[in-house]
Amino acid sequence: MADLHVNICGVELKNPVIPASGTFGFGREFDEIYDISCLGAVATKGLTLEPRLGNPTPRIAESRGVILNAVGLQNPGVKHFIEHDLAWLRGKTKVIANVAGATLSDYGEICARLDGLVDLVELNISCPNVKCGGMAFGIRPQDVKEVTHVSKTALKKTPLIVKLSPNAESIAENARAAEAGGADGLSLINTLTGLAIDIERRRPILANNTGGVSGAGVKPIAVRMVYEASHAVGIPVIGMGGITCAEDAVEFLMAGAVAVQVGTQNFTDALACPKIIAGLGKWCEVAHALHGVERVRDLTGTLTMN
Amino acid sequence: MPEFDALILENKPIAPGIYSLMFAIQERVAVRCGQFCMVGVPGFPLKRPLAVCKAEEERITVCYQVRGAGTRALAEEHSAGERISVTLPLGNGFCLKPEEKRIALVGGGVGVFPLIAALREFQNQKQLFSYMGFRNREAVCLSHELECGEKLVLCTDDGSCGVRGTAVQAFLADIDDVRPDAVLACGPTPMLRALKRATEGRDIPVYVSLEERMACGIGACLVCVCDKKDGIHARVCRDGPVFRLDEIEL
Ligand SMILES: Cc1cc2nc3c(=O)[nH]c(=O)nc-3n(C[C@H](O)[C@H](O)[C@H](O)COP(=O)(O)OP(=O)(O)OC[C@H]3O[C@@H](n4cnc5c(N)ncnc54)[C@H](O)[C@@H]3O)c2cc1C
Ligand SMILES: Cc1cc2nc3c(=O)[nH]c(=O)nc-3n(C[C@H](O)[C@H](O)[C@H](O)COP(=O)(O)O)c2cc1C
Ligand code: FES
Repeated sequence: MADLHVNICGVELKNPVIPASGTFGFGREFDEIYDISCLGAVATKGLTLEPRLGNPTPRIAESRGVILNAVGLQNPGVKHFIEHDLAWLRGKTKVIANVAGATLSDYGEICARLDGLVDLVELNISCPNVKCGGMAFGIRPQDVKEVTHVSKTALKKTPLIVKLSPNAESIAENARAAEAGGADGLSLINTLTGLAIDIERRRPILANNTGGVSGAGVKPIAVRMVYEASHAVGIPVIGMGGITCAEDAVEFLMAGAVAVQVGTQNFTDALACPKIIAGLGKWCEVAHALHGVERVRDLTGTLTMN
Repeated sequence: MPEFDALILENKPIAPGIYSLMFAIQERVAVRCGQFCMVGVPGFPLKRPLAVCKAEEERITVCYQVRGAGTRALAEEHSAGERISVTLPLGNGFCLKPEEKRIALVGGGVGVFPLIAALREFQNQKQLFSYMGFRNREAVCLSHELECGEKLVLCTDDGSCGVRGTAVQAFLADIDDVRPDAVLACGPTPMLRALKRATEGRDIPVYVSLEERMACGIGACLVCVCDKKDGIHARVCRDGPVFRLDEIEL
């Protein structure tokens, strides 16, 4: 059996497969389908300081090979998560708390509340900064550095991962900005902004008009960005965007990721994550026979460019 | 609620644009009427929510209307012998209290399908009065399945079969004779709104099955919420799809 362990910012995961934030809730529902303790970790739904009701419906649309979502960060708030879900989830596997704020001080306060309680914090910086004309924190390098710094200052014990937005001006620059702000690791990509139209009604399908694009169709963009980000920094990277099978995950690892997250595919196949874990084991065994790959962590960054 | 690699046994048209899909799953599961399944269509990222029409041991039947790309592909490209991924059983389903004995069922269009399951489940325990609306004579399907209660009124928009008008109109014409203890309903939102107006002020619980776009189907992603009167966002896939009509905003 291949060795699937990976280490991300000092946290040991039994395998590199993590369900992505927003597609898995806090894990309870999927645990009714399979025992989620098989997962390397779980990235929670984005947590805000106060509970949020989110956007009106429709919140989801489909386009060839991708989906668009505009859930609007509905969540019960960080306090409710800590009191009701955290202990249960930590009993299952490693916990990555995904954090979303509307202001810099939101990020600082949510991080302070989670510090020492979760294994990793992942900053969702694709949220609009209400004090800055609504432009997302994750677009300009100076904003990325600032939000990272504020969050890092609040985290004394738990390592910080910054989740980069593909809507950035430059992925490599934002990766460096996060590292300079004190990030212990990076994850990417979050969703790309898109628009899907109901041509009968001549209106957007989503109540929010635009939504975040994810799913198989975004994978080549995501792999390219993971390559660029991981080569721009010295901190570990978690890759995601359109992963549907073990071979897709291997692409991300080769491009420079230490671990991967799986989002949309959980909807297509609720057993996606356990299947990808099993598939990675098998892939490594075959690769071992051919090229001596024994440990999945040896795949990271093994891509040679032409 | 397991995830199954289901085997398609049959996928055939039963009316213009309406198909009946029967598939086999690996084990017997208990399915309540009003519960649904998420049916995967190969090549499409999102599964489609479809009400369970019949559950007979390992064989499950759903009926669907071809609307967009996914249901069209399911109808045209997939047939017996192929495998699809299906999650089931999902949602709360229709639950009746013991004292609710005289039950009216009001269905329109694809809303008829979950009510077929209700007719099958309650036929030996309750007195059932059905009001089922279709667009026209051609669209009427599974009428033999609808006949198992005390009474069945078929309605069509153009009067080409049964009475002319909507299922809600037919139900209203009968409401004082039938004096139902509860109503089970499923259909398009305008129909549910009409039903709401019609039953307001009467002390009859109306249980409706809602339609909302879904992604996970199990309560994890919060894509499918509806507004409840108490200000809470309920998940249609998990807390529903059946709600009391007086508890939700339509
Ligand atoms: C609990 C429940 C039970 C249902 N039962 C039945 C049934 O028994 N028979 C039947 O014919 N239809 C049923 N529907 C509606 C059915 O799910 C949609 O008609 C179908 O998903 C449309 O898919 P499409 O590929 O035709 O459309 P597309 O336009 O290709 O769909 C794109 C996306 O939008 C979603 N979507 C589009 N319209 C609807 C809708 N009206 N409701 C929910 N999602 C939608 C699709 O699921 C898909 O995710 C039910 C819906 C729900 C919520
Ligand atoms: C319904 C839905 C909700 C999401 N919610 C969040 C969220 O709360 N926070 C976040 O950082 N990313 C969120 N995402 C983005 C995913 O975590 C992931 O970055 C993206 O979907 C790309 O991966 P995929 O192609 O495998 O889905 C969400 C995605 C979807 C589809
Ligand atoms: S579809 Fe995911 S919560 Fe209902």
